[in-house]
Amino acid sequence: MSRSTSTKDILTSPIFANNPVAMQVLGVCSALAVSNSMQTALVMTLAVTFVLVFSNLIISTIRNFIPNSVRIIAQMTVIASLVIIVDMVLQDVAYELSKQLSVFVSLIITNCIIMGRAEAFAMKYPPHLAFVDAVGNAMGYGVILLGVAFVRELLGRGSLFGHEIFTTVANDGWYLPNEMFTLPPSAFFLIGVMIWAINVVQRKRG
Amino acid sequence: MAFKKDSVVGTMVFIISLSLVCSFMITGTAEILKERKLVKKRDEVQQFVLKAAGVESNSGDFRELFANRVQAKLVDLESGQFIEQENILDFDGRMAAINPETSRKPKKDTAKIKSRADQVRIFEVFDDQGKLSSIVMPIYGKGLWSMMYGYLAVEPDLNTIKNIVFYEHGETPGIADFVTDPEWNALWQGKKLFDEKGKIAIKVVKGGAKAGDVHGVDGVSGATRTGVGIQKAVEFWFGVEGYQNFLHTFAKTEVK
Repeated sequence: MSRSTSTKDILTSPIFANNPVAMQVLGVCSALAVSNSMQTALVMTLAVTFVLVFSNLIISTIRNFIPNSVRIIAQMTVIASLVIIVDMVLQDVAYELSKQLSVFVSLIITNCIIMGRAEAFAMKYPPHLAFVDAVGNAMGYGVILLGVAFVRELLGRGSLFGHEIFTTVANDGWYLPNEMFTLPPSAFFLIGVMIWAINVVQRKRG
Repeated sequence: MAFKKDSVVGTMVFIISLSLVCSFMITGTAEILKERKLVKKRDEVQQFVLKAAGVESNSGDFRELFANRVQAKLVDLESGQFIEQENILDFDGRMAAINPETSRKPKKDTAKIKSRADQVRIFEVFDDQGKLSSIVMPIYGKGLWSMMYGYLAVEPDLNTIKNIVFYEHGETPGIADFVTDPEWNALWQGKKLFDEKGKIAIKVVKGGAKAGDVHGVDGVSGATRTGVGIQKAVEFWFGVEGYQNFLHTFAKTEVK
């Protein structure tokens, strides 16, 4: 991508064409772990969006003051502080949910998408573009996470956001849940399928 | 003088100011959420005490139920006497157990708790008619990985277990989850803590307790050490260094 990329490209390209999870294969760990239900996936996406947007904004704003030798440490400090704040707020507003997400909220610190965007984009571009880039990448992450969670929860438990869609056999219905989808390995397959699909579409576009 | 960001001084100044800003962000958030956290903690205590006492409650009425049916009291474990104190609901048992001035090292630390608070908060739970129906006492001890915190409720005979609940543990997820499973907790109901001689006899039995065993609770395979930890915790807390003095004093004065 050249420097002349338009704002719209910055926003949309990370969603499919240059998706951080599917194309750059970043942040897969959390995508496997918290994508077994729509609810956790949505909360995780929101948390990552918050951290990504603010870390990009802050780092982009102070990018001209960051000494080159400590720039990674400076980025980490900003990201870690934001993650701690998200963790505290989440424990306050949704305690039960924060228990389900357990360590994965704190592990946003090590999510390569955020570090990657800070180092590759926010350090070089002004805040408004960094903001757009953050939103785009957060959406890219969210698309994969929610997509995987959609399939996993629907097939694994017959429900979406905890509401029953397919009546399961346990509740005198017809659907026998495929429990494999509630386990992490299924996310590997699903993400793999998504990578394949996105690649095929990209190739057709040329 | 222009700010030279890549000089040693510039780097120092930058890092120090960044650290300060970030720490203010965090402490600021923590300060805003502090009051709400305290309320949550109080609510959690109330809900778990009611659950331990077997009082049905829901998110709407537990505060009222707790206020009407439960009385929190502070007990001095050494003397077994009650101690007057205000705002008992905000009593922080864990801080009391850490603070060297209000705690001591147990002589026989079977529950591996390292230090035990001198004073413990217990709860007397009454039924609709105002009769004492159970006493809820906090217990905790080390399982395989972590400290497990819970409440054990005994009936007024001070021997029969009414229920046991755990509200915090860090045991292996998926394997030791039974600790908080109401079905497993229900196995404790009606079991006797002490044998005829007054010795602590409750056991978590590996492979399953025999039918009719009033002191045995089924262990769960794959989580033997967690089960043993719970047994040790109960043994410790209902032993000499736990509630024994209190139970004796209580039996003399209150239960007729």
